[in-house]
Amino acid sequence: MHKSALTLYRIFAVIALYAVLLGILSYAFIMGFYAINSTWAAPVILSASDEKSLDFISKLVTSRQTIEDLKVDATRMQSTLTEMTKHRADLVALDPELANAIERERTHDRATGTELSALDTQKQTDNRNTQAMLTRSQQTAARIRKDLAAGLITKTDADTQLAALTQAQSAYTDSRIGEVMLTDSILDKTNTGTKSMDVLEKQAELRSEIAQLDVTIAVSDKELQEDNRQIERLHDAIAAAKLSPYYLSSTGNTRIYFAFVPYDNQANAKVGAPIYDCYLDMVLCRKVGTVKQIFLGEQDATHPIFKTQVRGFTIQMDLSHPNSAKSKTVFLGRKPLLF
Amino acid sequence: MAPILLWLIMFLCLLISVLKYLMGLLLRYSFPGSKIKKDYTWQPTVSVLLPCYNEGETVYETIESISKSNYPAEKFEVIAQDDCSVDDSYAWIQKAQQDFTHIRIRSGRNAVNCGKARTVCNALEHSEAEIIISIDSDCIFHPDVIRELTACFAEPNLGSVGGRVGVRNPNDSVITVIQTIIYYSAFQLYKIPENWTRSVCCISGCLFAIRRSLMLELEPQIRGRNWFGIPVNQGEDRFLTHQTLLRGYGTYINNDALCWTTVPNTLSVLFKQQLRWRRSVIRDLFYTLRTLPQHVWKLHPNTVLTLVLTPLGAIVGLLVILTMLTSDPLAWAGPAPLITYLGLAAVASWTIGKYSPRETLKHPLAFGAYVAWSIVSTLFITPLALLTMDSADWGTRTKEPEPAVERQPEPQEVSLGNASH
Repeated sequence: MHKSALTLYRIFAVIALYAVLLGILSYAFIMGFYAINSTWAAPVILSASDEKSLDFISKLVTSRQTIEDLKVDATRMQSTLTEMTKHRADLVALDPELANAIERERTHDRATGTELSALDTQKQTDNRNTQAMLTRSQQTAARIRKDLAAGLITKTDADTQLAALTQAQSAYTDSRIGEVMLTDSILDKTNTGTKSMDVLEKQAELRSEIAQLDVTIAVSDKELQEDNRQIERLHDAIAAAKLSPYYLSSTGNTRIYFAFVPYDNQANAKVGAPIYDCYLDMVLCRKVGTVKQIFLGEQDATHPIFKTQVRGFTIQMDLSHPNSAKSKTVFLGRKPLLF
Repeated sequence: MAPILLWLIMFLCLLISVLKYLMGLLLRYSFPGSKIKKDYTWQPTVSVLLPCYNEGETVYETIESISKSNYPAEKFEVIAQDDCSVDDSYAWIQKAQQDFTHIRIRSGRNAVNCGKARTVCNALEHSEAEIIISIDSDCIFHPDVIRELTACFAEPNLGSVGGRVGVRNPNDSVITVIQTIIYYSAFQLYKIPENWTRSVCCISGCLFAIRRSLMLELEPQIRGRNWFGIPVNQGEDRFLTHQTLLRGYGTYINNDALCWTTVPNTLSVLFKQQLRWRRSVIRDLFYTLRTLPQHVWKLHPNTVLTLVLTPLGAIVGLLVILTMLTSDPLAWAGPAPLITYLGLAAVASWTIGKYSPRETLKHPLAFGAYVAWSIVSTLFITPLALLTMDSADWGTRTKEPEPAVERQPEPQEVSLGNASH
């Protein structure tokens, strides 16, 4: 019983030891091989539902939406700008007219002001004479009342004469009012009055509005230019993105095959270079296609053996054996071990 | 599910190991009461059994160090048993017998080479002492050793006592630096919680003291150990400790009982030694699992956990390392393991320098190489041990016969000669 068990154990142990030895040697060889090999590439199967593809498409859609938004914004801004420019032109045209009107009014005032000053002087002389005469009319009124009391004149005559005197007094008062008003009018025409100030304020407001419009137009113009540049940049970005494998994989109708190539293996990644797929990762290799396109955008990938992060780029493969796209690695340019 | 279970077991093993180290630290400095109460007045008769195979002059040095023991000379004897060495070991034993006449030294030779365990049993046949101390023939012993070991047996339920094994050649190479730190931390920390519950799972065969009655009880089992009919000559220390515990006795390591061993200083010798030890560990695991009901009810939970989880950790560690190497082959080369080990090395080196100046390390940072060794150990030694359980090869004592050495015409058991005082 013991002997049989021992024999079985020993057979198992020998087989297992050789298996372990083989495993260790294979492992060490694979590690060494991938440490020095510079022709490997890792096939990548991309589909529209991949996380990266989805992210890419999402960004693409967002970019296109942004372009549309920017275009709408730019159109609206252009209209506003045109409107503002027109409004500014109107205001600018109004300014000299207003200035001319002010000037005309000033010229007129200057002319009439001198004439009114002379008339005012005359009026003052007249009023002084009238006032002297009215001073004397008080003596006349007293004589009329005396004559009435003496019965020299009738009451009707006396009233008529007194009314004439009152009328003269009233006329004098009117004349005084006229003099004051004339003086006031002269003051307006010969000095800058509130009316003139109002007109000047209007002119200042007009000019301020023009200046504000200038600033707004300049800012809007810059914004419009920036929007246009942004649109151009986004168009460029979309054009570049259309050269990405993710775009091809998400929009192409036929199956497209890609592979990640680390920068260390860049020399072997040339358009038209043959691609080999091997059994056991490195032996019994066969040609399965060629390199169709090289995408220059940098990619990060996990090393298929060392599991470290590796920097590199993507190539498009033209595969005659599509199953090779599922291999862990393929080799570019030549067979890795000459068979 | 399986990987989760693997990681769970691995985590549990690591957790228990770390906890044991931390507990060791705590117990050592906070609960001195956990130490055994020694009685130096009790001085039983002692037989120091010295199995020897291909040790050459070293065996003479070993006997010389024992001869300097401060234990009363009339109370102890050395029984040196040569296991058919192909070198001049036996001649050196005889020379020691002639040179150190102040102690009783008896020597003998096996009829055929039969391994350490059976050589100890052969030597035991000639002993009548109350306490048996089995030692390795490549160790140097402190004069207090016998006194320290026997004093522990004052505790009646204690079956076996071990001593601390220090490293004689700490600065030979990177490998010896690693072993020095491992040995020191194992004895000074890892085994302390086991000491606390008097349930040390493996007392080193370098210095192993056991009551005579218990040894006699176990002798037939030692002689009868086999792996599917193949005699087992290795791991008798682990076996003896285990059996001591199963018989309800306590086990203890007295760190004041010091001996110094020369550890392997080349990778190949270390590999062979570790392979032999790993076989013992796995053999013991199988035995533990086979007798689990006995273990569960008789042993302290601390012991059961150590007996099961330590070897299980070695096997599971292999699977974990394999998984790691396939999923992330360069993970071990990261800075975290190296920094961890360098940190441990710095602390351990300082402690060793302070408390055990003889083992002071010149280049403690060489312990960083333990990152690589732990992978080699886990990855290669465990499967090799599993697949070579039938091997009886000691591994580290093999020598070609020396033509110059006068051999007896045919191997035969040599009667033990008595050296008078």
